[in-house]
Amino acid sequence: MITTIQRELAEQAYRRELEALARADRRQRPPNWRLSPWAVATYVLGGTLDDGTVITPKYIGSSRLIEIAIATLTTDRALLLIGVPGTGKTWLAEHLAAGISGDSTLLVQGTAGTSEEVIRYGWNYASLIARGPSAEALVPSPVMTAMRGGQIARIEELTRIPSDVQDALITILSEKLMPVPELGEAVQALKGFNVIATANDRDRGINDLSSALKRRFNTVVLPLPATAEEEVAIVTRRVADLSKTLELPAELPAAEEIRRVVTVFRELRGGLTEDGRAKIKSPSGTLSTGEAISVVNSGLALAAHFGDGRLAAEDLAAGLTGAVIKDPVQDTTIWQEYLETVMREREGWDALYRACRELA
Amino acid sequence: MTAPELRVFGIRHHGPGTSRALLAALAGFEPDCVLVEGPPDADDLIHWLAHPALVMPVALLVYRPDELKRAVYYPFARFSPEYQALRFALERGVTAGFMDLPQRHTLALDYTAAMPPPGVFQEVAAAAGHDGYEAWWDAVVEQGKGHAGLFPAVLELTAGMRQATEETAAGETPEARLARQREAAMRARIRRAARAGHTRIAAVCGAWHSPALVDAHRTPGEADDVLLAELPSVAVAATWIPWTYGRLARSGGYGAGIHSPGWYDHLWASGEAGLSPAEMSAGWLAAAAALLREEGMDTSPGHVIETVRLAEALAAMRGRPFPGLPEMEDAALSAMCGGDGEPMALIRRRLIVGERMGMVPPDVPAVPLQRDLSAEQARLRLRPEPEASALKLDLRKEMHLERSRLLNRLTLLDIPWGTTVKARGLQTGTYTEVWQLQWTPGLSLRVIEAAAWGNTVRDAAAACATDAAAGRAELPELTEMIDQIIMADLPEVLPAILARIEELSTMKRDVPHMLAALPPLADVVRYGSLRQTADHLPLLRRVFDRLLTRACLGLPGAATAIDEGAAADLTERLSAAATAVRLFQAEEATGRWQQALGRLADRDGIHPNVAGRATRLLLDEAALRPDGALARLERALTPGGSVDVARYAADWLDGFLRDSGLLLLHDRALWGAIDGWLTALDPERFQAILPLLRRTFAAYPEGVRQQLQDRLREAGGRGATAAIQMPTFDPRRAAGVLPALGRILGLPAAAEVTT
Repeated sequence: MITTIQRELAEQAYRRELEALARADRRQRPPNWRLSPWAVATYVLGGTLDDGTVITPKYIGSSRLIEIAIATLTTDRALLLIGVPGTGKTWLAEHLAAGISGDSTLLVQGTAGTSEEVIRYGWNYASLIARGPSAEALVPSPVMTAMRGGQIARIEELTRIPSDVQDALITILSEKLMPVPELGEAVQALKGFNVIATANDRDRGINDLSSALKRRFNTVVLPLPATAEEEVAIVTRRVADLSKTLELPAELPAAEEIRRVVTVFRELRGGLTEDGRAKIKSPSGTLSTGEAISVVNSGLALAAHFGDGRLAAEDLAAGLTGAVIKDPVQDTTIWQEYLETVMREREGWDALYRACRELA
Repeated sequence: MTAPELRVFGIRHHGPGTSRALLAALAGFEPDCVLVEGPPDADDLIHWLAHPALVMPVALLVYRPDELKRAVYYPFARFSPEYQALRFALERGVTAGFMDLPQRHTLALDYTAAMPPPGVFQEVAAAAGHDGYEAWWDAVVEQGKGHAGLFPAVLELTAGMRQATEETAAGETPEARLARQREAAMRARIRRAARAGHTRIAAVCGAWHSPALVDAHRTPGEADDVLLAELPSVAVAATWIPWTYGRLARSGGYGAGIHSPGWYDHLWASGEAGLSPAEMSAGWLAAAAALLREEGMDTSPGHVIETVRLAEALAAMRGRPFPGLPEMEDAALSAMCGGDGEPMALIRRRLIVGERMGMVPPDVPAVPLQRDLSAEQARLRLRPEPEASALKLDLRKEMHLERSRLLNRLTLLDIPWGTTVKARGLQTGTYTEVWQLQWTPGLSLRVIEAAAWGNTVRDAAAACATDAAAGRAELPELTEMIDQIIMADLPEVLPAILARIEELSTMKRDVPHMLAALPPLADVVRYGSLRQTADHLPLLRRVFDRLLTRACLGLPGAATAIDEGAAADLTERLSAAATAVRLFQAEEATGRWQQALGRLADRDGIHPNVAGRATRLLLDEAALRPDGALARLERALTPGGSVDVARYAADWLDGFLRDSGLLLLHDRALWGAIDGWLTALDPERFQAILPLLRRTFAAYPEGVRQQLQDRLREAGGRGATAAIQMPTFDPRRAAGVLPALGRILGLPAAAEVTT
């Protein structure tokens, strides 16, 4: 029987690299770590080992940030990765867990409905009713499993979890202990246990961490792509991929169009024109690279199904306006201001300016 | 005579670790002469460093009295090795001197000495696994224990580095030649010291130069003399001026500035106190925590502990023996500031750069700024007197105008010699200014403090104002500054102010302030026909245009749901801004402005006072036909309805008519409409809005009111007067309350009888 897995885990996809690193790694490993901090950094940032094995970079960006993240996991504190969507928080967390514990599956997905059982432990109710509370009836959470094995547990979207549930983590992170009063015992974490949480500080409907919990984390803020070139390249590649999947009968957009969208996004997001000469107010939305991709894609879809198959300014304008104006009161003024003070004066942007102005 | 012994100490300028190592080495060597890389022109000034009134950091300022702009600054902090070496010599009573090529030669040239090629430093750092040479040196030397082997090791290293670069150098530029001349001068100075009978000579110089000096006392000087012959020469003067860590971080006479004076200061102080590296890190992070607490962020000792741990883990990961500044910054950002850049910026400003400011004794030689000021005072015949006196200036006279400029420039430099007084009986907007002058001794100190800004009053004021503009946080302060710099005739400051205005107007959505910024800008555009202002005109127009655009977009919002005071304020500003827009004379801007006024006039929810004024301004600018204005007037003055409706009408009318009774006199249609509305009001509503109407009409000048009254009479005002009737009341019932009223007012009981 042939099974096709849609997506391989990090530790499966990069097994060879992890093995080569473990062989080459002569440095001191913290208790229960599969690799030394240095080797984990190399695994994430890429490099070439002495035996010639090439380690592909998993995260492209500041090596200082990765070093802070890994160093944090060797200390008492847990790691909190913050950033707007599309900055690679989850991706980085998965690879750190794979590099350190060789297992990236001890994962809790945070939602507004996440309950304490998901973080602590639950019960197999059939067994509980039949035999009463027993170790066999207990269903450990990924966090509990990680504590028992001295591994890394991951909590995705920590800030979406209701505040009272979040605070269940305090004892776990400070005492490294999870009491199970029903059984009259407690699980004590083995060395090597730690938590990587990801959170997004721009979205609505998030629950800020209590200061008691915040104190248990070191925070690393993951930035958006550093240069326009990098971002244009990401958008171009992803747009090409997606339009192939969606089988859109439209011409791929010119680099010029993508550059404009990326420029608008970067300027509004950064609060500064690319030439650095004028400040701009940023709208309330996130304006991540992912959003830029979807603006170009929906523009392409418009052009394909309702236009002449070529991406025109009008096709982009609708998507752009929608992406920027998330709060109809505040953002409209910000967007108009941007149109009138920045776009209007820019050469070659007439078509886009007029199209956007009509909609604004 | 025994052969003199020479020790060369290659240092890094401003390195605290180097300083410690140097002091230890000097104490061991016991020199009878200490020579330091620096300008020999200032040899006579070295003794000031031991003066009790001198507070570090200070800078040695060497300048050409004939051309004050040509100047060099040599800043020293308490952790600078040069300063420590000189202090060492002063305390031991041994000869101390500077040995670089004198500035009387260097300042005569119009080029500077070549710097060592940066590539070789980078290679050394990379070989040691560091990002940059500075970081490497910091980790190895500045934070190290300061062991005795440092200087021979530095000598060997730089000798190798020099060899590597000399092989590649071909052909000699004047700059490279000057670099060689500097080293020749240092060698010559060492030989002179030896000839003078010194037997233990210590030479302290930048590490790069050290290999060139080691054999100075053993080699004949002919080659150097040839190199140094025929150098041009000018007269120079030197003095000490106060310096700050902020300036130390920006630039300095010794090559590039350093990034972290505050951090170095901490390293130095910790070293002096004999603290271990671990205590040093903990102490610094505790200071950072205290700073954050001061700013209202809860930062507990627990935070500090975790930050220290993270810094140590990072250092271990990066292969450093203990955390350096990069580790401290990373750890503080992540563990103490929650990844937030803002508190980190505070730590950077207050602790990494630092805010320490130095002081020099008042009797050091006069700074060039003082000389320039004295020259100006003589030229303009303004003597600094300790007694207060008044000075009346007629700005149409050239001499008076220049006096005014000088006083304004000094004010910008925070040297308040004169303050302007509003003279009684003088109308504003005339050409007269009255100043109150008084020279207090404190002002002389202010001149010394201001010396770091520049060497002439004009340059210093411009530099100081440019710096101040960047720090202003409110638009009105900046608009005020525009006036100041126009009065001080410093158009070169305009770009900085404009840039800041632009920045603030983006960040803050404060429409009244934006409007208030327009008139001064328009004045400069329109009347600033000064030659220098013309250069900044395009920028000025762009900023005005953007400011107007933003104000226009924000206007409807700013005029909704506001109280009376804010509305009155906005109304005033609208009128002033309208004048500014007219002065600005740009079709597009005018169109934009009128559109915004149109929205104010017609949109629901706009405060009536503002809506009235907007209608009025549109009428004035002929953007609205009289019948259009009349239609709006009638709509606003809808008769009947509740008291609120009448109040709305009165407010609207106030905005529309305030300060312009003549309009009412001349526009019959307008007259008729208002008359019609007023007479249709029932007594109760009339009474409710009477105070408001009075507010509008009472502000008219006497003559206008008289004419209005005349018009009322001739136009059949009988109806109006007839409407005022004596109310009927029952005197007997009214008399009943009078006794009680009399007691309340404390009237004699007899008063009761008179009723």
